[in-house]
Amino acid sequence: MKRVVSLAVLVTIVLGMSLLLALSGQSFYPSENLRWLAIVYLNTTYNPYLPDFTVWSPEAVTAIVWDYRGLDTLYETTVFYLAIISGLALGRGVKRLNQKPTDESGLSPIVKTVTKITGPMILAVAASIGLHGHLTPGGGFQGGATAAVVPVVFIVVFSSFYLLWKGVSSQRMLTLRSAGLIGIGLTSIALFLAGLLLGLPSYVFQNIAKAGSPLSMPYDVHGALLSGTLWWFNLFEFLAVSSGFTLAFIILMTPEAEEKW
Amino acid sequence: MVGFLAEYMFTVIYLSLFVNLGLSLFGLFYKPHYVKKLIMLGILGDTLNMFAIFLGYRAWPSPTTPSRPPILLTYPFENASVLVEFTSRAVDPLPQALVLTAVVIGLAVMVFLIFLGDNLFKHYGTLDMREIRRLRG
Amino acid sequence: MSLDLLIYAVGAFASLMSVVAVYLALVERDLVKAVIYSAIQSVFYSLLFYLFMSPDIVLVYLPVAGGVLPALLLVLISKTERFERE
Repeated sequence: MKRVVSLAVLVTIVLGMSLLLALSGQSFYPSENLRWLAIVYLNTTYNPYLPDFTVWSPEAVTAIVWDYRGLDTLYETTVFYLAIISGLALGRGVKRLNQKPTDESGLSPIVKTVTKITGPMILAVAASIGLHGHLTPGGGFQGGATAAVVPVVFIVVFSSFYLLWKGVSSQRMLTLRSAGLIGIGLTSIALFLAGLLLGLPSYVFQNIAKAGSPLSMPYDVHGALLSGTLWWFNLFEFLAVSSGFTLAFIILMTPEAEEKW
Repeated sequence: MVGFLAEYMFTVIYLSLFVNLGLSLFGLFYKPHYVKKLIMLGILGDTLNMFAIFLGYRAWPSPTTPSRPPILLTYPFENASVLVEFTSRAVDPLPQALVLTAVVIGLAVMVFLIFLGDNLFKHYGTLDMREIRRLRG
Repeated sequence: MSLDLLIYAVGAFASLMSVVAVYLALVERDLVKAVIYSAIQSVFYSLLFYLFMSPDIVLVYLPVAGGVLPALLLVLISKTERFERE
């Protein structure tokens, strides 16, 4: 009863105070014009009439994240990598059990059958979100986070040792994660190395040909848009994020043997 | 009259975000359990990201043309009027890109704090911050 | 009633319900229920993000704050204690 009274008081305070602000004309209402930088980004994100400035990707947010502001995203990937490494470091030296999951462990057979059907469907949707990131809303991190839901559901429904028994161990997830990070690093300096080898000027993190350097990644494959480095970045980020999350779940959820301190 | 209703409801959204901010800060400082502090830290970060998206919104240019997300849908186009109409209706894309990075960094901090909480329980046997402060290792 | 009034009305409803969910998560003693209230608040925030025309943020926010983080917090609660003391 006390909670209902407090909730009613809180909602009344919010409604009444906003009525006061709106009546006196002091509140904040958005304008109809954008600032100059946003107009520049919206104009040059897919513009065949300006081939020196465009990114060839109709999705403005992914173009900003991986092309106009690519260095920010590179360091954000590094911060996420550090968090997973800290989890590994705090869990080292602990012996973990390894039993075989029996038929009685876990939930009922109805739940197990439904999970076996919907698990690959979730993975397919996550791959579609991740790999179409330069055409529709989505991208590498969104697809990776959606694909990380599948190991949690499998551990809860079957048993804690199901993933280890199927071959998804922490060593393999670490290898996949390292492969994804190496891929991101190589894609970002690919055009720079090509410029060094051919003797032409080029930049680090370069995507399409600019006014100062004539090298460019292929942005078009027989009419289907590929947007240069954006597709490769999305693929490697999808691999890295999904295997990183799976690694964190395996460390946290496997029961440990008894330790004497 | 219609203009006043739109402004009133927009102010309700704005003020409820401030109330969320205040409640989560109070919970972060005054509740003694570690997991409750973690939940309130997550709500604090999400409210700040909501403020950033809120500032990037654009009002409707006229009552029949709504504002749209910054994604172009008809890509091999013939004349440039498609691009002009897109620029006059789309929402600001820059705060969305910055909020993407902020969400990932907040998630990384929360994952690290969860691993740390597991280790705290193994050392001290409790997750009540008043008792841990008294024990001092 | 024009369409942008409808959008603002749904947004005002979602933000008021999120205030209710945050207050309930603050006062609750049972930590499992507090995690569920925080997940409900994340769903209302996702609706508000969608109404502000940003579909990229919705696709990040729903798995992260509505799926992965409550799952990790529930695992931590099951390994440590469940009820908050005075």
